[in-house]
Amino acid sequence: MSAVHVIGAGMTQFKPHPTVEVHELARQAAWAAIESSGVRPEDIELAYAGHAYQGQCFGQKVLLKIGMTGMPVVNCENACASGASAVWGVVNAIKAGQADIGIAIGAEKLASAKGGFTPLVADDLESSMGRVMPSVFSMMARKHMDRYGTTLDQLARIAVKNRRGGVRNPYSPWRDEITVEDVLAAPMIAEPLTRLSCCPVSDGAAAVILASDRVARRYTARPVEVRAAILASGIRNGVGMADDHSEMTIRAARRAYEVAGIGPEDVDLCELHDPFTIAELVHYEDLGFCAPGEGGRGVDEGWFDIGGRVAVSPSGGLLARGHPLGATGVAQIAEMFWQLRGEAGERQVPGARVGLAHTVGGGVTQIEAGATSVHILVG
Amino acid sequence: MTATRNLRDDLFVAGPPPRLLGSRCRETGELFYPVQVMNPVTHRAGTMETCELEGTGRLLNFTRIHRGMPGYDSPLVLGIVELDAGPTLTAQIADWAGTDLHIGQRLDLVIGTIRTDPDGTRVLGPKFRPIKDENL
Repeated sequence: MSAVHVIGAGMTQFKPHPTVEVHELARQAAWAAIESSGVRPEDIELAYAGHAYQGQCFGQKVLLKIGMTGMPVVNCENACASGASAVWGVVNAIKAGQADIGIAIGAEKLASAKGGFTPLVADDLESSMGRVMPSVFSMMARKHMDRYGTTLDQLARIAVKNRRGGVRNPYSPWRDEITVEDVLAAPMIAEPLTRLSCCPVSDGAAAVILASDRVARRYTARPVEVRAAILASGIRNGVGMADDHSEMTIRAARRAYEVAGIGPEDVDLCELHDPFTIAELVHYEDLGFCAPGEGGRGVDEGWFDIGGRVAVSPSGGLLARGHPLGATGVAQIAEMFWQLRGEAGERQVPGARVGLAHTVGGGVTQIEAGATSVHILVG
Repeated sequence: MTATRNLRDDLFVAGPPPRLLGSRCRETGELFYPVQVMNPVTHRAGTMETCELEGTGRLLNFTRIHRGMPGYDSPLVLGIVELDAGPTLTAQIADWAGTDLHIGQRLDLVIGTIRTDPDGTRVLGPKFRPIKDENL
């Protein structure tokens, strides 16, 4: 099967865009990706569009604005993993010989969501009980703190680190760094997570152009290879994500490392699913960057900073770049593309050669969560 | 008089005492909550029967939500409850004020207001309250 490469990437700033409608946001990202790749619109043979709440045939409406019609377009909903699932779909379609060049688009506009939360899913039993995402991750935090002695200071340091990345990322809206004291003193959302321990709800879009091995080098001398693209879903576990580890992340990561022939010790750069500080810490362990229970110590010792064992969320991550659900997974791949080509500016991880992107999506009653993805890229 | 309605009609019987509605597999004896159409462990159809589950259990995890959804209590204590009958579920915890809520806390089922809709209708469903004398 053909290797698949990223040959272009584009995104909008992640922030409230009250006057720009979502199809236009997605068009801006898609067009930026197309222009950066050097492909002509008519060379793109298929598209996946990831989003959670943007309505029917979203991708077709976006592509129509560019005049790209007639191709197979798959619209793809997997909650917060929708964009990553779109990338997975294009990678596999190219591997299967369906196309040489495809585009993955992710977008979301959530500024209209009431109360700063993602819309309540009325048919999900746990959601109807008043479960909001911060409460799930608060229970994850309680579990990890009880079992391993992880501290609130350690969790707060993750928010500080990621904000440092966000401030250096022109796609993030933030320009001010924060302190551990700021995080701990922010308004409480769900104990023990304060507002600065949670990602914001934002609007935004991202897109990447993917190409087969056969054609990638016609467009760029430096394609970024997608060495593994793994998608998985949660198993029935009775507690959802309120645990001290993510079984489905561990499972997907193991498979990704096996497929890529690369181990966690080889990863230079990681964009993981950090909608809440505790999630980032738990996923250090799930992805094999440290042993279970060592995440807190790793934060204290700078293992996950630029210059440490593996630079985690140098873009700011969901916490400090923002989290427009469907856009996030595609934005992670765009970040990998820029980082692994040395084009990430002030947030560049020096010499980064291997990157890992990870998302988790969807609270579903009775299973851990709806979806997880792990992509491993090599520059 | 305030109008009330049940969140769903297949979750509980009011009693007294209130009980949860679940499913029992005639083949394996395993109990499930909420009601299942097929056995999700054996993947067999036609083996499930609806049954009442006793509403006692213990608290596996909990948090107090300060910024929650409109219509819900604020603060709202939400927990994961392991029923003595086996299944686990996410549920609101009632009557927690003044108690030292802790992991392992014994709980029992009450039917109470889950949320209040914009028209004032109270939506009723299963909640759990701490059992004061944990020897019971």
